[in-house]
This record gives sequence, structure tokens and C-alpha cells, in this order.
Amino acid sequence: MRVRIPGLYIVLGLVLAGLIHIVAVLMLPMLAPKSAHARLATLGPANTMIEIPAAAPGRQVMPMMAPDVRYAFCRFDLANGPVRLKATIADELWLIALYTPEGENFYSVAGADMKRAEIDLVIAAADQTVEEAGVDAPESSDEVVVVNSPVTEGIALIRAPLAGPSRATGAERALRSTSCGPYTKSG
Amino acid sequence: MDTDRLTSVLPTNSPLVLSPSQAMPWREEEASHSMRSLAYFIGTFVAALMLGIGSAWYMIERGSLLTTDKVGPWSGWISEGNPNADPYTKAHVARSGRLPLTSTVARYFVAHTDSAGRTLTSACEYSVEGSPLNARWWSLAVYDEYGGLIENPSARYSFNSEEALRHSDGTFRINLSSKARPENWLPSGTADQHLVLLLRIYSPRETDASGIGLIPGDRLPKIERIECE
Repeated sequence: MRVRIPGLYIVLGLVLAGLIHIVAVLMLPMLAPKSAHARLATLGPANTMIEIPAAAPGRQVMPMMAPDVRYAFCRFDLANGPVRLKATIADELWLIALYTPEGENFYSVAGADMKRAEIDLVIAAADQTVEEAGVDAPESSDEVVVVNSPVTEGIALIRAPLAGPSRATGAERALRSTSCGPYTKSG
Repeated sequence: MDTDRLTSVLPTNSPLVLSPSQAMPWREEEASHSMRSLAYFIGTFVAALMLGIGSAWYMIERGSLLTTDKVGPWSGWISEGNPNADPYTKAHVARSGRLPLTSTVARYFVAHTDSAGRTLTSACEYSVEGSPLNARWWSLAVYDEYGGLIENPSARYSFNSEEALRHSDGTFRINLSSKARPENWLPSGTADQHLVLLLRIYSPRETDASGIGLIPGDRLPKIERIECE
């Protein structure tokens, strides 16, 4: 008996493999079982600033967390209106970043790039309007920053990189003074 | 395409007039042909499944020339965290369970091997030598192969730009070893396991045309194996 795989099957196999490849790549972000969003959701409710315990062996909320960065996050939910994030930036190394549940970082601001130490960030969905003094006047727009979120649920993550192990306590204290909650006008 | 194999399963090839004695052998042959076709179909499907899933897994897990910068042992996803990233990068980020900063704000480089391409392991001692990086802050951390920090008595898991001891020309040397070493000792733990190095670079000062943080390849540290147990 001749053992010969007909060319037809090879072509068919390659086309099929290509289709399976494309479907797998596109489906994976939705099927990823332990996404960062799901991991953080176990730490507490939405629209509240929560400190992530410092990474240590056997105790890490997310894999490959920086051991020399302290983190606080707010899982925002815009279903009942915009969410306001207020923080006093204690160090120019600080970074504030907004994420979709799939981990896309759609907004970020670095402490060193800000004019003032106090950041007042309003996260709003595309169909939510924020009426606030300063929002319509670009010259004073550093008072309140309105960020249009492409998603109604997401994550705001504050990173406080440490300049040395002795800075950890100070960074943790500064992170505890940040806040996140439902937006009320000029609150 | 193998036309004779294809047409042989169709009745058009069969003789127009058949005596009953001739009919039986022909039908057996037809049955064996369709059995073989079925086997081919199943085989093709299984092979396609393995090839499709396997290639997708590899391109998501380790990256490809389209999605990652590869310099020596280091590999960094070009559009990591970017909302406009390609599907491979998006899948990689979603699967990782991490929340990386978008690549215009930070760059992450991962190494699974030394500069000679040998897998990093706690059984060996390495010297990681680097030049100054043009960024606001950087940190080099070591993890086990699952991304977990490694237990050690001095609770030292990383060295960053503020704390690493540097030579007068700005270069630095980090000693990755299970045993205490002078200068910058990054402990690799007592368990026998593979290691992963992650270099995170926040706010690179140079960017490419699309605003992505630019880290020249020759700036990334060299990972030299010193000796093994």
C-alpha cells in the first residue's frame, strides 16, 4: 500500500491550522482565566482605593509584580456615573495608569509631568458629561482632569516606585491617603 | 492535487457495466478508499489543531519578530499595554495576568537565558553587567519560572536605579547567585529551579517615531555565566 499524503490534505490542513490559529489568538483575551482584573476583584469592592500587599515570595496578587514598587488600585465601575480619583503625588516617580479589564493601558500620567502635587482625576464613560469649573477652560485644566474611558469597568492603578527599601513605609503611607469614589461635583 | 485518488472515490471511474462477480471487489476497494479518506480527514484535522494552537501559543507566549524586540537574551514586547496593539500582544497581556504600563511610558525586557543562550538556573552563578539606561527609573528583578519572587534571607528581590551600587562610569554589575556575593547581590534562592530576569524601565527619555520608549540594544545588560555547582 502506498503511504502518501495527498497534497489536497496538506493544503486543507494548513488552511485549517491558519483558521484555528486566528480564532485562538482572538479568543484568548476573553478566555484568559486569571486576568489581572479578576485577581484584583478578589481584594475588595469597586470604586474604592485598595492597597495591594507588597509582593513577597508566595504572596503576589499578580505574577511578576515589582518587589520595589508599592501599588494601590481602584476597580472603577461607571455604571452609576463617573468616578473621581484624588491623590497627592508624594514622589515624581509615581505613575497613575488606567486599564481596561483586558489590561490595555489607555491613560497614564507620571508624577514628574504634573504641574501640581494634587491630582484630581474624573473617569467618565463616553456618554457621561462632567460639568466642572476648569474643564472647559484649557488654561486652568490642570485643576481637574477628565478622562474618557472606553470601558464602563476598569482599573486605576497607582505605582509608587521606591528609591530604596527604606522608602517603603513612606510610600505606603502616601498611597493610603489617595482616594477613589463616585463623582460628585467639586467634591 | 492528487486527482486519481480524488476521482477514484467517485463512481464515474467505475466500469459502466458490471457483472455481479466483478461488483464485490470494486465495492470493497471503494470502502477501503473511504476509510482511508476518513483517516486522512481526522489526521489532517488533528495535525491542523496542533499546528494552529501550537503556533498561536508560541507567538503569544514568547513573541515573534513582528511583536517583540529581541536583543541577545532579552525580549521586549514592542506594543505591550497599548490599546492599539496587535492581537498577539493583546493576547499576551491578557494571558499574563499582569498590568504592564503602555510601551510609550515603560518598557519591559525579559530574559530566560544568559547571553550565550543557556537557560538561567539557580544552580549557576551569573554576572549581569549593564550601562546607564536613559530613563527616569529602572529595576532588575529575578523570578522563578512562574513569575514568583524567590525566598531569601536578605529579602532582596531586585535592584533599581536608585539603589544599585555603580562604578564611576555609571556601569553596574549585579551578581545573581544562590550564595552571598559582594557588591550588588541578587539571591537566586536555594531551590533548584529555572530563573527569569525582568528589567522594567519606567519613563525612557528617548522614543521612536511612534512614541514607543527606545532602549538601544547595546544598553541592555549582558548576562554572563560565571560557574555552576
